[in-house]
Amino acid sequence: MIFSPAALLRVGLLLIVAVVLQLSVFSRIGIVGGHADVVVLVVAAVSYYAGSVSGCATGFAAGFLLDLLSGATMGVSSLVLTAVGYGVGRFRELRNPSHGLLPIAAGAAATGGWVVAFAAVSFMLDVGASVSPLVFRDMLVTSLLGTLLALPVFVICRKVLRPSLAVDPLDVRRRRPPAEAGPLGLRGLEV
Amino acid sequence: MFDKKVVRRRRVALAVFVALSIAILTAYFGESGGGFFHALQRGAQEAFAPIESGTSRALKPVRDFFGWAGDTIDAKHKNKDLEQEVERLRSQLAEAQTARRDAHELRGLVGLHQRAGFPQGTEPLTARVIARSPTVWYSSLKIDKGSSDGVRIDQPVISSGGLAGKVTSVTGGTAEVTLISDGSSAVSAQVMPEGASGVVRPEVGNPKDMLLDFVEGGRRVTEGTTVVTSGFKSTKVESLFPRGIPIGEVSKVDLDEVQLYQRVHIEPFADLKRIDIVQVLRRRSPAAQTAEVLGP
Repeated sequence: MIFSPAALLRVGLLLIVAVVLQLSVFSRIGIVGGHADVVVLVVAAVSYYAGSVSGCATGFAAGFLLDLLSGATMGVSSLVLTAVGYGVGRFRELRNPSHGLLPIAAGAAATGGWVVAFAAVSFMLDVGASVSPLVFRDMLVTSLLGTLLALPVFVICRKVLRPSLAVDPLDVRRRRPPAEAGPLGLRGLEV
Repeated sequence: MFDKKVVRRRRVALAVFVALSIAILTAYFGESGGGFFHALQRGAQEAFAPIESGTSRALKPVRDFFGWAGDTIDAKHKNKDLEQEVERLRSQLAEAQTARRDAHELRGLVGLHQRAGFPQGTEPLTARVIARSPTVWYSSLKIDKGSSDGVRIDQPVISSGGLAGKVTSVTGGTAEVTLISDGSSAVSAQVMPEGASGVVRPEVGNPKDMLLDFVEGGRRVTEGTTVVTSGFKSTKVESLFPRGIPIGEVSKVDLDEVQLYQRVHIEPFADLKRIDIVQVLRRRSPAAQTAEVLGP
């Protein structure tokens, strides 16, 4: 990602919109006990397109904003989303993915990682009450909803971030060098 | 490809943000309710409240659509249970109406003005839910009424059906309500009419099942009985919740002869997963209470 005030503004706006929508809309739509989580998908999308450094910074900022506005224990979401952002960013850097449907897998992994890591941190902080097995069902439903929503969220984030991206994975795929032209018998040979 | 500078920058960035998160977490746990991060949270919530409120209202049709779809699926399963419940409630209604008439006559005798089943000395304030905690680990709501409307910390909050929670944080125009399904919640309660006392604790992740702990093994608790807030008072401490707010209905009793206490499962009356409107029970001033009792 090309660091510039415009890029920061784009990421900032994405995060604010995601957190407000999460708290006011998505958290209040219960589907089989769980609910969609768009904040982690936005963090995953930014990390996927911008890399691990931008990913962990975005994750930290998103977590900070989420804890600030939801009234939850501050630092928990930042810690987990920093790790999620870094993980997705590293995946992109190591694999250089260019397949158009890979965001679905990235979104699923990010949401799954987020719910599991958040539960682990909450346990470590001692919730002070017994925990129902239904928590696992909620985690599963949230992960599935994350998988379903990943593609549209990634597409929106890519459109918003595109002017600030140094390398767009989809463009890399489209700009593959064409097959060398030449006499039929010599095509592909070092001449 | 593996430029040392890039690798170092990446590792430093990760370390810095993780360290920052842990520092914030530690500071948040260490400080009091009036500390920097708590104040920052209140400030941010107040600043974003109009945006959240607007978004919540604007996108209500979307929420309603999903609610309708979910309700349709649930309706089929609930229909059978509800038919049985209607039969049971009909007989209860007849008993309640008789008791209500008796109670009304008695109230008339002593000249008290109160609504049936409503705690005395409280003034309800209706508020709309504008945001909800996104995880099951922290069950809280944000409402569109704050200190300027008379909302104060620790005031009880009810929703249709029964007790919903208590106010834990207040700004000028908003307040945060921690629900009774939150892991930190504990409400002193009493089973009616048996009178057995205990503490209602949540089961994180399952807001339809709560536990009434510390009920003495010898006290008999039967399924289907109502659990209300006990509102205890002693010389040193007093319960935050006034006596008589309905919490739920006993759904199951675990009888274990080895244990000193029995575990009573409660199904709360309030639908804690889908609350749109709540009432904050503000404490009424003694002067207002006296004026109301004496009448015009």
